[in-house]
Amino acid sequence: MDETDIVYISLSLIIILIVFGTASSFGKGWSIIAVLLAFLALILILALNWIDFVIVPMFTKMFGMSFQAAKDYTIQKGQDSIIKNVNGLYYATGFVTGNLFSYTFKEEDIEADVEGKMMTAPENWERAVMSLGFPFKFHVIAVGKDVQKIRDEIEGKRSYQEFQLSQALQSEKASSETAITEIKRKISIYQARLDRISAGEKPIAAIMYFETTAVGVSEKAAEDALALQIKQLQIAMSSLNLHIVRVVGRELYTLFKFNFGLPLTYSDLASEFSQEG
Amino acid sequence: MDQKIFVLLGFLAISFIFLSAALGLPSSIIPAPIRILLLLFSLIFDVVAFASRRYAYIMLPILRQHKKKIVLSDSEPYSLSTSEDAIIKMEKGEYIATVYISIPIYRSATEMGEAEKIEFSRQVSKLVGISSDPIRFTAEMYMMNKDAYIQTLRDAINIAETEEAQMMQTGKDAERIEVVRGKLAMWRNILQSSSSAQSMELVSYASISAYGSKEYEALSMAQQKAREAISGIGATFGVTPSIITGKEILKFVEPEYLIPFSTVSEEIEEKTEEEVI
Repeated sequence: MDETDIVYISLSLIIILIVFGTASSFGKGWSIIAVLLAFLALILILALNWIDFVIVPMFTKMFGMSFQAAKDYTIQKGQDSIIKNVNGLYYATGFVTGNLFSYTFKEEDIEADVEGKMMTAPENWERAVMSLGFPFKFHVIAVGKDVQKIRDEIEGKRSYQEFQLSQALQSEKASSETAITEIKRKISIYQARLDRISAGEKPIAAIMYFETTAVGVSEKAAEDALALQIKQLQIAMSSLNLHIVRVVGRELYTLFKFNFGLPLTYSDLASEFSQEG
Repeated sequence: MDQKIFVLLGFLAISFIFLSAALGLPSSIIPAPIRILLLLFSLIFDVVAFASRRYAYIMLPILRQHKKKIVLSDSEPYSLSTSEDAIIKMEKGEYIATVYISIPIYRSATEMGEAEKIEFSRQVSKLVGISSDPIRFTAEMYMMNKDAYIQTLRDAINIAETEEAQMMQTGKDAERIEVVRGKLAMWRNILQSSSSAQSMELVSYASISAYGSKEYEALSMAQQKAREAISGIGATFGVTPSIITGKEILKFVEPEYLIPFSTVSEEIEEKTEEEVI
């Protein structure tokens, strides 16, 4: 949750707090209804904050709303695909997240393991791509981050873990071996990151996703073909241990817009994405 | 200031007015059920105010248009720059120029040794960190447009058939007739195998955007960024990337260029045949 989210949530909760505080003024019996309504609104706000990509498409589907994103491009009511009509043929495009970070960078604890993964990655990728008989794109949007800021951040985290370790070792109650090993593992991960930055590697933020297009003689046919392609994509990429989730809602619209222009800065990019994937 | 904050404040103000009416008016003037109804409206506007954080782009058109198909934009999503080396998009009164850079990497993991595979993975990791500006790297697999190739094969078959007919008429040199017949069989086999299977092509490219108040300003900024990216990509992989120009750009932007029309009609014919059988 960023600062803007906090401002929005705080301002919206003011109204609800006022209702909770003044519910008794509605009179006997009605005050319970007022509290219940305020409680429902609170749940809805919190749900919109965390699972808006479920709620909003559900709402648009329920009311049968579709959106014209640009000339000839329509976002379907389920908000999970965007369709272009070209001379009576329908091209449905869908997006799925495909975060390679968990594959190459998260498990940095054992250097040899990383090398092993890096060695198999090109072959696994080729095998996965060759098994797909339909068009797709794999995008990586990368942006360099402020090196000093990231360095300070990692050093802070490492110092905290070192403090935890010293406390665990000094405490009268013997800490479990597993807990100490876990702290040491975290320290080595932070150290590995610092070493990589010291070696000249730039810290980056990246968004990775797949885009695939299917064609059909009707919107329904194109959407069905797209759903099938996305399933095949998920199966093919399972060997790469990717976290694959179909993109729906506003993030679909954002990724569609990225095809015609990218954001300028890291904060512009980060503000577009939050929970999904 | 961002327009979204005015949307938030506007909805909150409406919510507060309804709440004031629900709480402030005495029960003798307005009965309790009406006050609860006013409270309900207040809470709905409160939730809408919060949702405007991420959904202002659809909420305002929904309120204005009152239709099932909401038009977010009815203009072309982009236009090709006059120099034909970038696409231009207008957003919030600013021009966004996006330049596409071809990355000619034609190495396969099957022809790499273990050390080469690790090195290649390292190069890819290094590649995503070459720019501090947002840059998008894409691996795109698309169906090749074989129309021209198939036409060349048909022409070759026609020429060989004419040659065969002429030789048959003159009735001399049986050996040469056999050579022409062999050639004819070869072209026919190639035509049959080419049109019966889809051919896919995998390409890699990068795209980078820049903003400007004038088209030429955005364009020159994007070209400058592209030149920097080209030198970074070139140094990483030892290849010569180039800026993509003309209609080649459409292959990376328009969905119908991923699946050529001739392929679609073939596919539809096949599906219809299958259904009939």
